[in-house]
Amino acid sequence: VTMLGTLRSRLSRRDDLSTRLAALETAVDAARGRLDPALIRDADETLTRAHGRIRLSPEHTIVALAGATGSGKSSLFNRLCGLELAAVGVRRPTTSWTLACSWGPGAGDVLDWLGVPARHQVDRASALDVVAPEPDLQGLVLLDLPDHDSTEVSHHLEVERLVRLADVLVWVLDPQKYADAAVHERFLRPLASHRDVMIAVFNHIDELGSIAAAEAVADARRLLAADGLGALRLIATSATRGDGVSELRSELAKRVEQKRSSHVRVSADIDNVARRLMSATGSGEPTALSGKQRAELVDACAGAAGVPVVVAAVEEALRMRASQATGWPPTRWLSRLRPDPLRRLHLRPGMTLGTGSDVPVARSSLPSPTPVQRARVGTAVRRTADVVGASLPPAWETSLRAASVARLAGVTDALDKAVATVQLADERAPRWWSWVRALQWLLLLGAVLGACWLAALAGISYLGLPPPGDPTWLSLPVPTWLLLGGLLLGFALAATSRAVGRASARRRARRADVRLRSSVADVVDELVLGPIQVEIDAYLTCRRGLAQALKR
Amino acid sequence: VTEIGPPTGLLTVLVRLRQCLLDSPFRLDAPDAADGDRERSSILAQLDDYVIPRMVQVEAPLLAVVGGSTGAGKSTLVNSLLGRVVSRMGVLRPTTRSAVLVHNPADAQWFGADRLLPDLERTTRPTGDPGSLLLLPVETMPAGLALLDAPDVDSVEERNRVLAGQLLAAADLWLFVTSAARYADQVPWDYLKAAASRSTAVAVVLDRTEPAAIEQVSSHLEQMMQARGLGDSRLFTVAESPLSGDGLLPPEAVRPIRKWLDSLSEDVAARTAVIRQTLEGAIASLPARTALVASALTTQEQISVALRVDVVDAYREALDGVADATQDGTMLRGEVLARWQEFVGTSDLFKGLETRVGRLRDRLVSAARGTPPPAQTLTVAVESGLQTLIVEYAETAAEQAARGWRSLPAGARLLETSGSGLGRASRGLTAEVERTIRDWQGSVLDMVRSEGADKRTTARFLAYGVNGLGVALMMVIFASTAGVTGAEIGVAGGTAVVAQKLLEAVFGDQAVRRLAMEARADLNARVESLWAEEQARFFAVLEGQQTPPGTGERLRGLGEELSAARFTWEPV
Repeated sequence: VTMLGTLRSRLSRRDDLSTRLAALETAVDAARGRLDPALIRDADETLTRAHGRIRLSPEHTIVALAGATGSGKSSLFNRLCGLELAAVGVRRPTTSWTLACSWGPGAGDVLDWLGVPARHQVDRASALDVVAPEPDLQGLVLLDLPDHDSTEVSHHLEVERLVRLADVLVWVLDPQKYADAAVHERFLRPLASHRDVMIAVFNHIDELGSIAAAEAVADARRLLAADGLGALRLIATSATRGDGVSELRSELAKRVEQKRSSHVRVSADIDNVARRLMSATGSGEPTALSGKQRAELVDACAGAAGVPVVVAAVEEALRMRASQATGWPPTRWLSRLRPDPLRRLHLRPGMTLGTGSDVPVARSSLPSPTPVQRARVGTAVRRTADVVGASLPPAWETSLRAASVARLAGVTDALDKAVATVQLADERAPRWWSWVRALQWLLLLGAVLGACWLAALAGISYLGLPPPGDPTWLSLPVPTWLLLGGLLLGFALAATSRAVGRASARRRARRADVRLRSSVADVVDELVLGPIQVEIDAYLTCRRGLAQALKR
Repeated sequence: VTEIGPPTGLLTVLVRLRQCLLDSPFRLDAPDAADGDRERSSILAQLDDYVIPRMVQVEAPLLAVVGGSTGAGKSTLVNSLLGRVVSRMGVLRPTTRSAVLVHNPADAQWFGADRLLPDLERTTRPTGDPGSLLLLPVETMPAGLALLDAPDVDSVEERNRVLAGQLLAAADLWLFVTSAARYADQVPWDYLKAAASRSTAVAVVLDRTEPAAIEQVSSHLEQMMQARGLGDSRLFTVAESPLSGDGLLPPEAVRPIRKWLDSLSEDVAARTAVIRQTLEGAIASLPARTALVASALTTQEQISVALRVDVVDAYREALDGVADATQDGTMLRGEVLARWQEFVGTSDLFKGLETRVGRLRDRLVSAARGTPPPAQTLTVAVESGLQTLIVEYAETAAEQAARGWRSLPAGARLLETSGSGLGRASRGLTAEVERTIRDWQGSVLDMVRSEGADKRTTARFLAYGVNGLGVALMMVIFASTAGVTGAEIGVAGGTAVVAQKLLEAVFGDQAVRRLAMEARADLNARVESLWAEEQARFFAVLEGQQTPPGTGERLRGLGEELSAARFTWEPV
């Protein structure tokens, strides 16, 4: 039952770690190209390493002995292995390559991943003729690193590489070098977040008297505390005399047995990177754009797209058409002499230069936006970005601003197309036009009939013929009624329908305005607010990912 | 005692070099700035602490600085050499925190605060303060020689490392102490390589070595010294041996070193040779190091020029942009055009010009509607158009300048430290632009007024008034290149033609051309002065950070002068 429980908790730990890793990956992807490239590069490396490590068996615990040249890493290594594997000597630097010793089988993959060549690997069981099982260390992969402070720069690089990969780091200090800047400033201080996977060893205490040794160890502890590693386990050892080695061994055995070290190490790496990203990302909230601010933006773009010009032309054209259709027939032709304002813009009321989305849209002949209008669009876009990004941290605000104006150059074209594809007004003539037209012709016919009748009457009286019976109505002769009535009613009808036509033109123009503006708003959404939204989404994704990556 | 005379010519050059370096700190981020600055401080420190004092007092005792790694046993060595405890020893690192200078009582006069290492405070009691120098007269110290126990070069205490570097740079002779565990460390070798490259006199002491390992380690160390240019330097070995009750090594362990020091004390010629080697080496290294600083300073100059150019270019472009937009006729559309047509009349554009009926009617209409007269609405339209235009160009220019700055690390740093305001137009710009445009319009009206002083009575002048003619002049300006580009020839050209005709009818064509030119130049000048204020924000940030032009060149000249002076200098 306990074994099952352990297994289950181990599996859930693994799941938890994968989730956090995935969250960090999402955050890093969202921050890519937006935050400091060096930081992103670090994060990428950490991710690669973490993925590599969790793919490998958690049954193995990689322990690295690191320290200055002459600090006794190799002697400790030999002590722990119970073998004379590592060369020990007075010539510095002694160890030039990493040596690995593994307890128990199956460490090949881990060693490959670590990049330790086969000739520097030792399987402890096969190297010892006598079988000394050491069951409590099964799964340990012990590394003896080169030094980090000698004149051999290649050693430093190897140490830096493996310090990033090992599950547990054992820092070997010694009386001469425990206060060196080389170890404190380059390794211990930056690794303060990894205190759970580090152990410090104060080696060579045999060289000091017991009082001096206690003093020196206390001083080393003080320096570690100054590095932010106050809680670090510090074991005083002597590789030559054997003091403290069993203590170190049992500390390692404890970690090997728990099989938690790889998990804790990766977790510390994730924390470290996530914290750094977090401090660059901050916790500001993007501000939502108010309706008024959006309307201002759309308004500026509409102005630049010539919407007011088009709407005015639409109204004028519709008014002209109405008066052409419903005006007094004899004078109707006069208004045809005036140019159609829409045609001047190469637009038709039934409009759309391209009728469907598959037809390439030609440019309309709208006047291209003036610098003033373009300036208004630019200003409005910038103001929008300012409002939205006001409380974001600097790096994100910069990327948001850049994104907001990134597609500004294409806005003019897109606006022109947007305006050109809108149906400005209904092509069909309103029904009342034909009724009025018929009525106009009828009235004109009546007037002409009355005129002819009167002319005939005049001719008859001129010729002295007896006047025919003159029908009268309301004491006036009917032909006079016809003529005057036809003319007066015709004028009145023309005037009325002109007024009605004007009102209807205004109404329809307003509708066209609404349609045009919504089309402009689409462009604004796509080319200005869209990119801004992408940035905000990235920001929120990054923050969410980091929060998740930091959650234990 | 002296064989080296005071080399006045060389000294003058050195003093001038020092002043020039003092005057040119590094402030801008550049790839070579860190190196340049380090070299600059190191030259300055060496001139102040060593070269200049040493040249002034060539007869002062030889100063041997005992330097090296923490835990290598420097203090134990010094104490053992003198046979008494003068410097603190112990297992806690770093042991030595302040410098201790041991000299023969007879040499006390040479180590006052006006001599070597002037910025270290002299004390007679141990303080532990890195800013102090403990002066200890000790009888057992050979005369003509002083030993300075320096802090370590590699401990976690940064102040220790800095002080150690400073002390080593002030030494006539390095007694560089290392140990079996230390002799291949990188940090001390960095110092030794620097010493080798400056021909500083060095003796290496291999301390704290197991007797069994001495042979192997010392031969390896000797190889390393050969390989790194220290083949001529002496190597002493001190075996790890049991310490006496007060922590001293047995006298025989340090006897070779003591003997060597005694011989230096007795042999003036040998001592002078050591001093000369180090001093000449230090001076000989100066031209090359100065050249390095000079080239880094030239980079600084180039960067400040580049940053300045970024700003100037951005605003020049913006100025051109405004100038173009205000004369290619594009201003004469939309609002301005509508107001202009309203102003000139309705359909018959020439009506207003020929009769006063149109004017009268317009006045009546505006009186009845309660709207301001057309000339005024046109002025307002021009104002708002121009304002939007200028503010936008200011924004673009600021953005472009900031982008330019951001592309250089130095500029990016400046932007960061100066706050975020630089990438945008300044806060009060909109109001400033408004005022500027009003002033300009006012001055256009003044121009028209003074031009029309003698034409006040003509009917046309009266018909349009100063305001009317003023806006007509603005229209002419706004379309002055419209005909050239052809793009706006229709509407804008027409508008401008009407305005031109109107003005010519009043003033004559010669005067109109002149007025237009003056008014446009006036507008450009005003925008330019707006830009000057905008640019000044960038320049103000740059001001304290730039290296004056020619500094690098001057320094390089001094370096050359130094090389020449060095070769002409011969000891007397």
